[in-house]
Amino acid sequence: MLTIKDLHASVEDKVILKGLNLTVKPGEVHAIMGPNGAGKSTLGYVLSGRDGYEVDSGKIEFDGRDMLGMEVDERAQAGLFLAFQYPVEIPGVSNMEFMKESVNAVRKERGEDPMTAAEFLKVAKAACQQVNLPLEFLKRGVNEGFSGGEKKRNEIMQMILLEPKLCILDESDSGLDIDALKVVANGVNSQRDGKRSFIVVTHYQRLLDFIEPDFVHILADGKIVKSGGPELAKEVEASGYAWLGEHQEASA
Amino acid sequence: MSQWLAQVIDRASTVDDWLNGPRQQALATLKEQSWPTRRTEAWRYTSLHALENLALPAAVSEDVSAPVVAGLDSIDLLFVNGELRTDIGAIAWPEGVRVSALNAADASMRDAAQAVFNMVKPERHLFGLVNDVLATEGVVIDIAAGASIEQPIRIINLATAGVESHHRVLVRLGDEAKATVIEHGSGSGASMNTSFAEYAIGKKAVLEHYRFALHGGAVIHMGGSHFRLDEAAKMNSTLVGYGSEVSRIDVDIHHAGEHAFAKFNAIYLLAPKEHFDLHSNIEHAVPNGTTEENARGIVGDKARAVFNGRIHIHRDAQKTLAELNNRNLLLSRGGYIATKPELEIYADDVQCAHGATVAEIDEKSLYYLQTRGIERSQALVMLNFGFIQELVSQMPNRALADWLAPQLRARFEAMESR
Amino acid sequence: MSEQIEQAIARKYDAGFISDIESDTFPVGLDEDVVRRISAMKNEPEWMLEWRLQAFRSWQKMKEPKWAHLGYTEIDYQSISYYSAPKSMKDKPKSLDEVDPELLRTYEKLGIPLHEQEMLAGVAVDAVFDSVSVVTTFRAKLEEAGVIFCPISEAIQKYPELVKKYIGSVVPRTDNFFAALNSAVFTDGSFVYIPKGVRCPMELSTYFRINELNTGQFERTLIIAEEGSYVSYLEGCTAPQRDENQLHAAVVELVALDDSEIKYSTVQNWYPGDENGKGGIYNFVTKRGVAEKNAKISWTQVETGSAITWKYPSCILRGDNSVGEFYSVALTRGRQQADTGTKMIHLGKNTTSTIISKGISAGNSSNAYRGLVKMGPNADGARNFTECDSLLIGDKCAAHTFPYIESSNPSAIVEHEATTSKVSDEQLFLCQQRGLDTEKAVSMIVNGFCKEVFKELPMEFAVEAGKLLEISLEGSVG
Repeated sequence: MLTIKDLHASVEDKVILKGLNLTVKPGEVHAIMGPNGAGKSTLGYVLSGRDGYEVDSGKIEFDGRDMLGMEVDERAQAGLFLAFQYPVEIPGVSNMEFMKESVNAVRKERGEDPMTAAEFLKVAKAACQQVNLPLEFLKRGVNEGFSGGEKKRNEIMQMILLEPKLCILDESDSGLDIDALKVVANGVNSQRDGKRSFIVVTHYQRLLDFIEPDFVHILADGKIVKSGGPELAKEVEASGYAWLGEHQEASA
Repeated sequence: MSQWLAQVIDRASTVDDWLNGPRQQALATLKEQSWPTRRTEAWRYTSLHALENLALPAAVSEDVSAPVVAGLDSIDLLFVNGELRTDIGAIAWPEGVRVSALNAADASMRDAAQAVFNMVKPERHLFGLVNDVLATEGVVIDIAAGASIEQPIRIINLATAGVESHHRVLVRLGDEAKATVIEHGSGSGASMNTSFAEYAIGKKAVLEHYRFALHGGAVIHMGGSHFRLDEAAKMNSTLVGYGSEVSRIDVDIHHAGEHAFAKFNAIYLLAPKEHFDLHSNIEHAVPNGTTEENARGIVGDKARAVFNGRIHIHRDAQKTLAELNNRNLLLSRGGYIATKPELEIYADDVQCAHGATVAEIDEKSLYYLQTRGIERSQALVMLNFGFIQELVSQMPNRALADWLAPQLRARFEAMESR
Repeated sequence: MSEQIEQAIARKYDAGFISDIESDTFPVGLDEDVVRRISAMKNEPEWMLEWRLQAFRSWQKMKEPKWAHLGYTEIDYQSISYYSAPKSMKDKPKSLDEVDPELLRTYEKLGIPLHEQEMLAGVAVDAVFDSVSVVTTFRAKLEEAGVIFCPISEAIQKYPELVKKYIGSVVPRTDNFFAALNSAVFTDGSFVYIPKGVRCPMELSTYFRINELNTGQFERTLIIAEEGSYVSYLEGCTAPQRDENQLHAAVVELVALDDSEIKYSTVQNWYPGDENGKGGIYNFVTKRGVAEKNAKISWTQVETGSAITWKYPSCILRGDNSVGEFYSVALTRGRQQADTGTKMIHLGKNTTSTIISKGISAGNSSNAYRGLVKMGPNADGARNFTECDSLLIGDKCAAHTFPYIESSNPSAIVEHEATTSKVSDEQLFLCQQRGLDTEKAVSMIVNGFCKEVFKELPMEFAVEAGKLLEISLEGSVG
């Protein structure tokens, strides 16, 4: 599904990722944990192709295609979905118009016919209900005036509608209370079908209580410094990230 | 001095009605005016060349009817070239509203009219003075103190080819009264019209206001909506303008009483070759007032948009909050935008800001749309129209918003596809 | 509270002394003959006189502009003397030793020692006193690098082809009323030429002093940066404290050829008049630069003096990828009035401009920003960002913002923001609670407000600017 090889990336000439390797197979859930400033969010932006996030060297292969050189929207059409930590508000563009446009863009790439307004309304309503958002949110401007939790749920709703192959959740748990967290986690779990893969980026172990990962990786200073099973997350929970200092010294 | 203005002054001397007093004053002022040139600050970007030697084609009688707004339960007054076509007496007016044609006002309506006529509109508007001396047609609306009028009153003024017309709207809202007034103008045949409206808004009164200047083609339209807010009065106004040969609208909002609140949104969407000029002027003469103004425009090929937004905080107007934001998009190389937000501040304890942008696109929003698979070009179109749509969504009247949105979109898409 | 603030911002004018120097001064009045006499005093070639005369004839037909937000008593152009020079300068002193010691003392008192060994290393100075240049330092060192830095009167003699080619090329003789007047009667000013590929080895600076009564100062500065060169130029200005208004109408032209960079900084501290508005300099200045391909022009100004300031340092961004910058602090107090800003004319593709303007008004003063950002039809991908902030101190002052934006290019982006604020009681209280007195607190707040501009000034000037605003710059510069 996704192969990242020796990825080096920088933002405004500052090197953030320094040789990252990761392989995600269909159906797998990978958690990426790490201290602040480790490059967790950068990874999501680089994979999505955001302007200003320069890949200096390395390879990203997604679903058999070389991702480097693909535009942001082409990557999305190919099945990559990034759920944002802080989704932007776009007043004046309604959620409904926005989602219909994007669903049809993705369908076109998959060789499917565009949905009619009526068809789309039906699936949109269902998705809305699934993440506990009132239907009127479809009419409102994208994320306009939404609370932090509503924005996160809106992200998950988009994920449900777009049916991506790989989902990257960028700290989707931050700022959420336990109930909102469960809604987000349930939305994600409902999309686990054995084929769809997930990269769950998080600072805390909390989210992983609800979305159980197959693998846990620790990202520090632009590299994955340790990988393991779910037990690794528990270890972090217990001892924090302080041990990384020693680890880095040892490896230096 | 243009030939046309000389003619206006000649014609004015033949006007003789119960408004003679203020009309004569206005005429005296008008005679002192010099014809604006590009060096006249208020007309820097709008040429009056087309008006200087105005020669309209012969008038043709057109079959006209009021534009229908689905779902809008309004009381409609239809004017064609300033002439009233609706029988005011036949309308079942809600309690607390008195309405009269300007030229048929009885003594008490004359009092109401005189309390507003030229009492709100500043003297400096050249075409306002023209309207003062020539507008014998129009309407006076007097809303009693405390009356809350649910049904919007829509004043429709259609311009047809070959006619010069002058139309006046005078509205008085008593203390704690509440009303919605829609000024709805349209027409595209070669014509010239001035249309000025004055609103005196009483203490704690609330005005919901719309002005649609949906002209086009060879129309020369000079208009103004002017508001005076007494203590704790509130107004929420939305202006939508299309351009034409020359369209110019002046909006004045005068905070005369403390703790008043004004919200003013303006949208202009100019099809190819149209010209539209909006000047807004906010006067905070007293402390504790609030103004929020948002003007947004999209300019098509060879069209010209002019925006001038002034906020004037007088010496004693402490604790004023005033914000103005103007955003513009130019769709093609042939289009032109001139914008000038102005702050004039004489009080220190105030919060004032303005911003103006041309073609600025929020990269974050663009990126977000792209991460959902939407192509860049399509995302730009969505964002561009979105910034107009945002103001449409803020209109308190749903029926009007639902009527406008698809029209604006169609107009935008026609401009975009060029 | 606001009274305390006003006291804190009020400050004595330190440069207000009068130097006792015998001068040759023209009688007041202006006609063609005066123009001829100025030209003759400078021993100018015929073409220069002709140029002046044409400017004078145009000026006679022009009207003084009235559009600025300024109110002042009409200037009587016939009651001004258009030329004044210290007698001792008549014989053109060959070295510093021959210069009248009183003149040198004047500059010393202003903190500008003209003896090279006493000067700040790395700054060359041209000192202009009324209508003549007194001395230009470090000329030998500059000549080694091929840099020409001399009075413009000397350049007209020595480098006529350069002057002929560029004078009036950026600010045409008939550009505006004051530029036309200057073109007719300019007396001295600096001339700078940086050859191709040369990075000027030191900061160049001109110090302008008006001394004589009833005299106007009309200096003209021309800076030419050849391809790939770089120069940083500073100017300072002061005048004695007098009850009469005096006119200063300068023209500055910058020519930045391909890939060059000119950084032009001003600390303007002309006598502002007393607290009742008596006296002070009327400062009407036209400053403009043309930037060719990949060139950069950066204007930084700290305007604290003058009774009237009318000044819009501008950039014509003609070459593709050229850059224009304008950083300004304008402080008005007493009865001072300022109408100042910039024009950024984007003609080339991918041109960018930045405007940061900080206006501080106190007392009964009036402070206006006026600017134009114009995107021409060929300015594809051009960008402008403008930020105008006003700080009001006291409730009798005024702050205005008049930005003009014109665009005819769909891919050009313009962003303008303006805000206004006051020194709030809360801010003062916080500072005072932490042990600072009002004066120090206001200084800190004003300084913080101006920080974005101060950091653009060369170090030596940043210090002077800070002193002018009577603020400690500790921790905010560099």
